[in-house]
Amino acid sequence: MSNTIARTRRRPVRWYRLLSVASLFFVLTVLAIGFILPVYGVVVTSLKTVADVSFGGYWNPPANPTLENYVRVAGPGSDNLLPYLWNSFKVTVPASIISICLGVLAGYGLAKYNFPGNSALFVFLVAGMFLPPQIALIPIFRLMNDIGLYDTLWAVIVVHSAFGIPICTLVMRNFFQTVPDALREAAFIDGANEYQIFAIIMLPLTLPALAVLATLQFTWIWNDFLWPFILTQHATSRTIMVGIVNLTGQYGVDWGGQAAGSIVGSLPTLFIFVFFQRYFIRGLTLGAVKG
Amino acid sequence: MRKRYKWITPVTFLILPVGVYLFFVINPTLNSLFYSLTDWAGYGADFKFIGLANFQKIFTDRLFRNAIGNTAIWLALAMVVPTVGGLALAVALQGQRVVNTVYKSLFYLPICLSPVIVGIIWTWVYNPELGIVNLALKAIGLGHLTKAWLASPDTALFAVFIAWAWQQTGLNMVIFLAGLTAVPVSLVEAAHVDGANFWQSLVKIIIPMLRPATVVVLALTAINALKSFEVIWVTTKGGPFNRSDTLAVFMYSESFRKYKMGYGSAVAVILFIMTLVIIVLYFRQMAAMEDLYE
Repeated sequence: MSNTIARTRRRPVRWYRLLSVASLFFVLTVLAIGFILPVYGVVVTSLKTVADVSFGGYWNPPANPTLENYVRVAGPGSDNLLPYLWNSFKVTVPASIISICLGVLAGYGLAKYNFPGNSALFVFLVAGMFLPPQIALIPIFRLMNDIGLYDTLWAVIVVHSAFGIPICTLVMRNFFQTVPDALREAAFIDGANEYQIFAIIMLPLTLPALAVLATLQFTWIWNDFLWPFILTQHATSRTIMVGIVNLTGQYGVDWGGQAAGSIVGSLPTLFIFVFFQRYFIRGLTLGAVKG
Repeated sequence: MRKRYKWITPVTFLILPVGVYLFFVINPTLNSLFYSLTDWAGYGADFKFIGLANFQKIFTDRLFRNAIGNTAIWLALAMVVPTVGGLALAVALQGQRVVNTVYKSLFYLPICLSPVIVGIIWTWVYNPELGIVNLALKAIGLGHLTKAWLASPDTALFAVFIAWAWQQTGLNMVIFLAGLTAVPVSLVEAAHVDGANFWQSLVKIIIPMLRPATVVVLALTAINALKSFEVIWVTTKGGPFNRSDTLAVFMYSESFRKYKMGYGSAVAVILFIMTLVIIVLYFRQMAAMEDLYE
């Protein structure tokens, strides 16, 4: 854009441009503040005592910031949310790993072997991503009762492992398609068999795709409420999101406690937001069909 | 692709994922179709096969009609608010400047929160005495407009919708931003040199080139809108007087609170068919675009 014609044509509108950029910036700032205000409210309230909330309201900065809400709901020895947090980890980590492993297997099988019906099978596996959970809710509730997994963490692990297959297959199949076949050919010539190639040559290459899936799966499974809500009953098998909703009902006016609980329950996914944002966004836009 | 391999090799890779998928995803989906033809209560093993009676009942059920009306409003709003909002934010915030990156992060932050947390947060936003909405209205002298937003029959559905859209807008912005990276900057600048103003290049260049991203956003938003349960459950549980009761919430309360699982399955099947329509439209658009671009 350095040619003189463009420059002379632009000059007369410069003040106008400046004004429009400034007003756009102003509008965006107001929007951003409005957008983030609800989060701000939770953060400041989590730092207030009950007296502070009833005296200074919900949205003012805390008069005497305190961590007592956090200690109460999730501090050492607290039985409010700590067991639920631990349960959520016990669900989220295995379910993420299992679904990703299954996706790696399916993705590799679909990307590297051109058998009849390959693309039909691919569409069939990925279509599950679009299913509303409601269509499987009742039969899975019954199935888990029948096989004795109802009200255990295993029920939630199994469901998330299976319902993660579509997105993991999609990401891994697309990834393996980008790996050149020459790599396989070379290894064949060197005498490796199919499984050695998969385990020794291919798996180490998948790290970036695994990072994308790990952030996605961890976030969805950690944040999920519907499945553990349906499939568990007692406090011993409650995950954090079910626990928080329960806490909300229990301490109707304990706003500080609810706010602290909400923040503690969001910390793991906020951690991903801060440190793995790049992978998470890549996953969102790549498998943009899952929300 | 190497053609010579034993037929058993792909099977060894695929049997486990396909097996788990068939048993825990496809099998329950088909089972719902079956239960929707029964009068199963949800406990015990005995139920009768009652044909299409559940579906006949659905269309005379006042509560079902209410839920489908609310779902239609929800879906219509979802097709506009978070999609136009996401597009506007993406166009305004594209590029790598530090300011833009900070703003993008702010709008994107809600995506990583659980819908449960979103519900809790917005319950406070709408709180009649201490919520920011009423406080702000009082501060600017519109105190007479304050109300219990989530507890008033006229506003509950819209109030919950805004909480849901708060999260969906950021997600749509991210997808539009990814789509915008495919729009060549040189094209927009060339149009500018030729005298096109911002609106002209937006309508004539950017939006047409964003068609693939737009299709994804619309399909994703519609499907998310149909299945959204958590935000509504945490804020209103479908109330007051079922005014924010959507199909997803209605399906849950019929099945798991009233123990009418056969009937609940029929509701789930309706929801499933609605999703199926969106999926078919989505795949047709995708196929049409592949013809266009390849």
